[in-house]
Amino acid sequence: MPPTTDMTLPQRLWSWGCSLKLAIYVASLATLLIMGGSLTMHKHPQLFGPMDDMLMADWLAGAWQQAPQRVWWIPASALCLVIFAINTLCCLIDWLLKIGSRWRKTGEYLIHTGFILLVIAYGWNSFAGFRSGPHRLFPGERLELRPMPGYAIQLEEFTAELSDTGRPLDMINRLSLWRDEAPIKEREVRINQPLTHGGLVVLATSFGRSLTGFTFHLPGRGLLDLAPGSRLELDDGGSLTVLALLPNVRRTSADQVQPIGDQLGNPALQLRLQRADGSSWQGWYLLREPPPRELRAVNLHLRPMEPRFRDYSLLTINRDPGSGLAAAGALCMTFGVLLAFVSFYAKRARGDRPEV
Amino acid sequence: MKTLLYLLFALYLCSVAGYLLRLVWNRPWLARLALGLVMSGVALQTGLLGWRWWQAGYLPVTNLFSTLFFFSWALALIYLYFELRYKIGATGLFVMLLNLVLLGGALPREAQISPLIPSLDTPLFTLHILFSFTGYAFFAMAFSIGVLYLVQSRLQTRHLPDKLLLRRINEESIFLGFGLFTLCMIAGSYWAYVAWGYWFSWNIKSVWSCLVWIFYAGMCHAKFVRRWQGGVYAWLSIAGFAVVLFTYLGIGLLLESNHPLE
Repeated sequence: MPPTTDMTLPQRLWSWGCSLKLAIYVASLATLLIMGGSLTMHKHPQLFGPMDDMLMADWLAGAWQQAPQRVWWIPASALCLVIFAINTLCCLIDWLLKIGSRWRKTGEYLIHTGFILLVIAYGWNSFAGFRSGPHRLFPGERLELRPMPGYAIQLEEFTAELSDTGRPLDMINRLSLWRDEAPIKEREVRINQPLTHGGLVVLATSFGRSLTGFTFHLPGRGLLDLAPGSRLELDDGGSLTVLALLPNVRRTSADQVQPIGDQLGNPALQLRLQRADGSSWQGWYLLREPPPRELRAVNLHLRPMEPRFRDYSLLTINRDPGSGLAAAGALCMTFGVLLAFVSFYAKRARGDRPEV
Repeated sequence: MKTLLYLLFALYLCSVAGYLLRLVWNRPWLARLALGLVMSGVALQTGLLGWRWWQAGYLPVTNLFSTLFFFSWALALIYLYFELRYKIGATGLFVMLLNLVLLGGALPREAQISPLIPSLDTPLFTLHILFSFTGYAFFAMAFSIGVLYLVQSRLQTRHLPDKLLLRRINEESIFLGFGLFTLCMIAGSYWAYVAWGYWFSWNIKSVWSCLVWIFYAGMCHAKFVRRWQGGVYAWLSIAGFAVVLFTYLGIGLLLESNHPLE
């Protein structure tokens, strides 16, 4: 019912709240704002790119400081959608008050309910929860969830499933969720199959291989594996210890070694040689070059044969406290649509022109 | 496959010719012939789609060819539904012409089925696609009916259905399209949640899909505004389809998104 002059102020407000025109105007305004704004998004990927990686409130606070003229449409359209949701809520309450005579519209009003729940859920998640990752975890490693004190994720096992051509097919992570040093949930996390727990969602994002060591051939001893921490006892009583391994380095003009990346390229081992006479040497062995003079002097003609790798998993960990509400909204909408379809055809079958 | 596709195109082309001749030369058998050709086309297209689905092991709607092909199939099927339900006759000329444009866009493209990306290997993808393109097809139907409503308002010809029936079909198309598109959005949001960890993405495709939803939600309400019934609603159907086309083709082909079309 449109507002009239003989209405009291609360009646007028209620009438405006339930107004169809208000719904159309705010929905149209939101549409136009988002249409224009989304084209700005495309032109400024550096500004808008991280939107999905952060909570909306955090992103907006940063983006507003950087370029308010490019992001103002987001709070403006959010305001329109909030007004639209309030208008929808008023219509829903109005319908509930008259449900006895208007129950045939249950489907349509379930869609309204779903929309309200989704707007609340999105608003909730824009300020609470967190988004993080990708986190690199090796099998057996545990990651404390800083935004959720007492909680941790442990990667029990990881297997990358590859096709014959080497194309990644799946990432199988056996994960456990811990609270206060006790496991509370375990699940196999794969593509499209996350671990979820009270708004927390842990997903397999990607995986990689990390260089962990090298297999060498040492004349007289055969094949041996060396990795950081390995110690090789020599026949004369001395020893060789591996201090570090870098996958890709370059030698600087000052004969220093500088790391230049994580991919295997020009690998180098940092070694410490403890001689039998008590003297020692520490330096780098760049595996694409002959062994250092100091090693050769004690007959350590180490020849690299093949690198040794270890798979790691990259996990995304988000928490959306409104996800349960969003799921309830989605269910309401789904049932609403199905019910509205049934109701529509039932009305048509009765020869009643449906006002959907 | 290509031969069958050209045969399909020929069937739809002949049906358009049949509807056109029916307008010029008032013979009822021409309308029946055109409808028969559409039905044959839909049967052939359904068979082709089923065969490709069986061959691929998944609903093959992952590139521009296959989306246009699926869109065309859904539109033809929806036209048949309205034709059989309301006997809309000459309306088929415009709808099938639009269908020819969709199928014509698919024909020069590669029909080969490529291996499915692992993240698409989920029933949520199938549901998302099914609801999305059937929703789009209803919006395309509403667009066609909207145009015909405006034509009929000007010409007042007996060859087209009366304005009241066109308005009713337009409203029904929008309502069914909106419902199906809502289900598409729900399937897509749930899929996004299990794949990315959030159910709404600020990717441009998702943003415009929301715009399509808000626009048609508005249209489901706009028909209650008495002054907008009929003419304004027809114009809104045309504008809505422009938003749909930009969301489907404009973003997929011109902009970078998580729904690329190749």
